[in-house]
Amino acid sequence: MVSRRTVLKGLGVSVALPFLEAMNPATVLGTEPAAAARALPRRMAFFYVPNGVNMREWTPSSEGRDFTLHGSLASLEPFKRDMLVLSGLTVDKARANGDGPGDHARAMAAFLTGCQPRKTAGADIRAGISVDQLAAVRVGNATRFPSLEIGCDGGRLAGNCDSGYSCAYSSNLSWRSEATPQPKETNPRAVFDRLFGGSLREETGRASEMRAQFNQSILDFVRDDAADLRGRLGTADLRRLDEYMTSIREIERRLQASDLPAPTAPAGAARPTGIPTSYRDHMRLMADLLVLAFQTDVTRICTLVFANEGSNRSYREIGVSDGHHDLSHHGNNREKLEKIAQINTFHMEQFAYFIGKLRDTREGDGNLLDNSMILYGSGNGDGNRHNHDDLPILLVGKGGRTLDTGRHIRFGRNTPLCNLYLGLLERMGVDVPRFGDSTGRLSGLSA
Amino acid sequence: MRRLSSLLLLAFSFSLPAALQAQAKMDFDKEIRPVLAKFCITCHNTAKPRAGLNLEFKDSAAAAKDKKIWEKVAHQLRTGEMPPMGRPKPSLDQLDLLNTWIDHDMLAVDCKGKRDPGRVTLRRLNKAEYDNTIRDLLGLRARLSDAFPSDDVGYGFDNIGDVLTLSPLLLEKYLDAAEKAAARTFADAKLKARIMGSSRGKRSESTNAILRDFAKRAYRRPVTDEEVAKLAKFVALAEKSGQSQERGIQLAVQAALVSPNYLFRVETDRDPKGGIAPVGEYELANRLSYFLWSSMPDDELFQLAEKGELRKADNLEKQVQRMLKDEKARALTENFAGQWLNLRMLREAQPDPKLFPDFTQGLRLSMIEETFRFFDAVVKENRSILDFIDADFTFVDETLARHYGITGVKGTEFRKVKLDTEKRGGILTQASILTLTSNPTRTSPVKRGKWILENLLNAPPPPPVPDAGELNTKELKGTLRQQMEQHRANPACATCHFRMDPLGFAFENYDAVGQWRVKDGKFDIDAAGELPGGRKFNGAKELRAILKERDPEFRRCLAEKLLTYALGRGLEYYDKCAIEDICAAVARNDNRITSMILAIVRSEPFQNRKGKGGMKE
Repeated sequence: MVSRRTVLKGLGVSVALPFLEAMNPATVLGTEPAAAARALPRRMAFFYVPNGVNMREWTPSSEGRDFTLHGSLASLEPFKRDMLVLSGLTVDKARANGDGPGDHARAMAAFLTGCQPRKTAGADIRAGISVDQLAAVRVGNATRFPSLEIGCDGGRLAGNCDSGYSCAYSSNLSWRSEATPQPKETNPRAVFDRLFGGSLREETGRASEMRAQFNQSILDFVRDDAADLRGRLGTADLRRLDEYMTSIREIERRLQASDLPAPTAPAGAARPTGIPTSYRDHMRLMADLLVLAFQTDVTRICTLVFANEGSNRSYREIGVSDGHHDLSHHGNNREKLEKIAQINTFHMEQFAYFIGKLRDTREGDGNLLDNSMILYGSGNGDGNRHNHDDLPILLVGKGGRTLDTGRHIRFGRNTPLCNLYLGLLERMGVDVPRFGDSTGRLSGLSA
Repeated sequence: MRRLSSLLLLAFSFSLPAALQAQAKMDFDKEIRPVLAKFCITCHNTAKPRAGLNLEFKDSAAAAKDKKIWEKVAHQLRTGEMPPMGRPKPSLDQLDLLNTWIDHDMLAVDCKGKRDPGRVTLRRLNKAEYDNTIRDLLGLRARLSDAFPSDDVGYGFDNIGDVLTLSPLLLEKYLDAAEKAAARTFADAKLKARIMGSSRGKRSESTNAILRDFAKRAYRRPVTDEEVAKLAKFVALAEKSGQSQERGIQLAVQAALVSPNYLFRVETDRDPKGGIAPVGEYELANRLSYFLWSSMPDDELFQLAEKGELRKADNLEKQVQRMLKDEKARALTENFAGQWLNLRMLREAQPDPKLFPDFTQGLRLSMIEETFRFFDAVVKENRSILDFIDADFTFVDETLARHYGITGVKGTEFRKVKLDTEKRGGILTQASILTLTSNPTRTSPVKRGKWILENLLNAPPPPPVPDAGELNTKELKGTLRQQMEQHRANPACATCHFRMDPLGFAFENYDAVGQWRVKDGKFDIDAAGELPGGRKFNGAKELRAILKERDPEFRRCLAEKLLTYALGRGLEYYDKCAIEDICAAVARNDNRITSMILAIVRSEPFQNRKGKGGMKE
């Protein structure tokens, strides 16, 4: 057997493993035939863009198989037969429903949860478990990482986010439970290290064995400390402590699952140096990492946030200096609408790059895209109106050839987006009668 | 409390509204009921209480029975949630009347009676606190938190227990960081010696002594024998594996750094019946040090806590003064001022390089540093908090001096300079604030006005109504001011823009990166304005003078922000008494900032804690 160090030397780096990986020495690339022998896994990912889109440059004019991808969607033309444009879907829980302003916060918090976020600037934050996390809890055990949460924006640095909603709502897409958002990693290097091994240090077999034992004893120690604390705390405190306990359990689960595929990056995959200055490069690097993660089967579930909801980023790379959020309140000004379409197009080009990479990655007798379901969308429709019906939603990939792609489908008014999620969950092997505000499975998607 | 400020602002040029001066209750039948009937009771009535809310009451006393209802109503009025879209909206006068009534009659708190100090949720160390605590505990400056996901912000700050959640990702990062921190500490002879000491004697005794000393500091409180024994197991484990005692201690250090006792600021209920009780001396030491230093207590604080003397005589005052002089107090500037003034947002500001080619990364950093230095100076010199609004000095380096047109400043060293107060004075005219409240291509009087309302007067305007722009389909024309006046012609927008825009227009002499100007393109600058209530001004200097006259609002605003930050929780209606005490103390002390900090440290919510049993005795 080749030592892990030798393997990684092939990549030009000699790597010492992060805390956890040290406890779970990797199997070696190429010596694990089980992956190929297993049925091809299905993957699910969710891409989020903020502030809605210019729908005039988005929605195809005709429905069915004979439709044209125009405007912001033009870059997806090569993948037209692999995708569905889904019009008319609604996130009702992003609407005020008596809670007043705050559409940005709600749009993001409700997008994958289908739950009305509780209006609070801090005390007792609450949304619901998100669709990716539900899948991660149910079937995430199959991979080393139940799910991966990445994005290009960290949290907001100061101030108030949206109309009395804590910033937790507009910076987190994934919710592990109704009260615990799952933060995203924004530094590509950190994502790479987490997935495939850490900083430079060398270890002999004996040393690494010992380290694994020490690390296990540390986990035992802190679990015990947390248990001791329990009796001394109140309800809100216990929520924090429960998060701690859950995290410990999650980490231990990963350690016990030692027969899972190795966290070894394929040859040629370079370790990123940090966050690129160019936003385009940042988005692409995150997408590259997601392709790698799917390819190596270290996870099958992911969320990727191009920008936080309400983001006021300016897109100088494409000549748009105004802030995105400022622009999204376009007042039907033609120039502003045009700039929004440019931003939408820019995001879409990076998404198309990702989809292209998935399709170029062979798997079985097809490619990764055949076995994936990649949802792309926003929880706001038109940024000016802050509407949450007729959202811009794409579903790309064939879901293991279970999806009849190559169509533009329009659903009836107020059809919950969660109805789509039920179908995605089913394809991931998660059978639930309802999710969020679902009213039943979307019909007409299956191949 | 915000309601009060917004109220005062509306009355801007008048004396205090009668409602605030008169302690007499308002007339429910004559004044309040008609307004409720017109705007609320249509939906929220006894027969059909929409959303389970019934606002039909026979008198004030019946209405006041359930405070929770009125907290919610006040919140919804403030944020413009109610009445909903498409229903008649109350006028500003009616709104003020309701707000005043709710605040004074419904949410009245008897400050002379038993006060509720509230209860802070178990607080995880945030990123800054984690790094500082590692620095002070181990002597290691490592910025390990760079690898952590960002902390969420609540109530404007990132040290709020309720939103400092913990995810598996973060715990994973904590495990890595702890290993790194311990390894680096033990790889450095000096740092290692700080932990291992020079104690000789029996091995088991020295192990226990070393670990007890360390754990006390890591957990920031006395530790039990069991806790020491648990840590000592790592030494046994290491020795069993043929490793040294030292390696075992390194492991114990690593383990302690991921213990909830380290990662959280644990406070326990001291009243056996679960009622209100003062926090323990160690807990108080922690509250102090995390408030002023964003870090753990030092030896002096620990010693006072151990002796139980932190509250004795004038010890608190002495400690606060000592701590503010320490260089660690820079944390208050970076973390409190950085967030209060939204200064951290300047890191992400993106002025258009074509329009503002001089806006370099260096200038950005100099802008931030100016405001930091200014805040530092107010604290270190114990100046008046009104200096924030207007002052005749600031701090510049060469880059910033050039930006301001100040001559004779060379080099990267910051120095205090006297200002031409016609053009600048106070934080409002600092390039940092002016830039972070601008759009990339132009100034935004709306954002500047909103910034003042939110951060200096704690009277945030409700967000724009959806579709706000769409009602106005024809293209807006003329100067920015003319365009905005057209925008304000829309009655849906007018209410709030009437408050925000004039404040912002006062600063039109500063462009989107804070440079002085007399023209905007081909148009002359018009920095005149009129506040609600009719008071007129021309330019920033006159507005500064008006704001300075309104010191009660600013005092209250700063007190609310600083108390939120100090406690790590949002304020509740019952904190009103503490805020009043703090403001009174500051007013008595010439508005000195130290008097505010000290009054916060002495306040009920800072000194006490409500147990699980709540308010009942």
